[in-house]
Amino acid sequence: MRDSAIRIVGAAAAVAYAVFIAWVSVSQPRSMAEVTGGLTASIGAYRIDEVALDDGLAFFRADKFVEARAAFARADPAMRDPLTQFYVAYSYYRQGWGRLSSDDDLFRQGIAAVDRARAVAPDGRIVVDDETLGLRTADELRAELEAGITREMSDFNPLRVLRERK
Amino acid sequence: MTAVREAITLPMVFLTVVLLAAVRVPGALSFEPPSLFSLVLAAMALGALVQSGTLDSNRLVGFRRSGLERMSGTIVVVTMFAATASIFTLVTPASGLPAVAFACFLFVSLLLVLSAAVDRVRLLRLLAVLLGSAFVLKFVVLAALSTPAEGSVTRALQVLFDGVTLGTIAQAEVGPATGYLAFIAIALYLTGIWMLPPAGWVIVRELRADAPGAPRLVEAPNGSIGTGRRD
Repeated sequence: MRDSAIRIVGAAAAVAYAVFIAWVSVSQPRSMAEVTGGLTASIGAYRIDEVALDDGLAFFRADKFVEARAAFARADPAMRDPLTQFYVAYSYYRQGWGRLSSDDDLFRQGIAAVDRARAVAPDGRIVVDDETLGLRTADELRAELEAGITREMSDFNPLRVLRERK
Repeated sequence: MTAVREAITLPMVFLTVVLLAAVRVPGALSFEPPSLFSLVLAAMALGALVQSGTLDSNRLVGFRRSGLERMSGTIVVVTMFAATASIFTLVTPASGLPAVAFACFLFVSLLLVLSAAVDRVRLLRLLAVLLGSAFVLKFVVLAALSTPAEGSVTRALQVLFDGVTLGTIAQAEVGPATGYLAFIAIALYLTGIWMLPPAGWVIVRELRADAPGAPRLVEAPNGSIGTGRRD
């Protein structure tokens, strides 16, 4: 009886361990914070740091994007919160936006961030109720970032200098 | 073999090997699953383990065992196979000429082990030497050639070496932490293999008394028994 219990417990532990290894192989966390964040998120126990998020939003609205991303990283170390990742992506957009041309590297990082946000959002849908933003959904933001790194004839239109940052 | 060792210790050891062998820490954390070729090498290694008596399949998944016991045995075999594949992926360089050379080296070595039909002790020694030498070549020699040099002369020599070898030898930087984790993974893997239930037989050398030059037992004048040679 004792042997049977040991074998059942051992099998359950081995399956759980194997599932964890499969999860890290698929999700490819880049830090221990992402590993622990992913595990706590899988049981619904992940919480972001609200104070750090507010700090990040304050920096973001003051156009201090590097500082904003540092605060967002503190708020969401595991990159599991859709709203925070949306603002991270938006910070890349605003920092990389230029009247004549955009910074492709920053825009690519923005696309990666908005993809992360969509991956962890329920149904991949993100709508942000923020009056200060010109793009309030992840789909709009991604399209804008994608357009920024795409080369096309309209890039040479001189009227581009009149467009506004969203 | 106790139930704890079979159901808990061995699967945990082998799964830890899988995890440690998959971790790469060159800057940020990443996880590399076993390559397709390492599955072939692992199948060959599994054959060698059974052939040498290092792993007695009847003591793990034999039909005389109960359903629960066979389930535990199957988990041990599956996790050991995964650990073996992960270890071979770990000690094989990621790209270039070294990747091809290491793959051939490991493949031929395992073929030799299979054709030589060695016993448990010799197989354990062979595995330790095989994995140890591959570890040294990848994480010490190749890593030293691929790590960005600090001095300008060393850097110039490194650039020259890359030029001469057309960049086929240099590897992506593995990071020192990966090497330490790899060492732990290999040590843990060998420990796990040593803990497997061995077969109840051993390979012995037979002494043929009628062979020329064969040693034979002789009685000395003082009555003690020793060995002598047949004329």
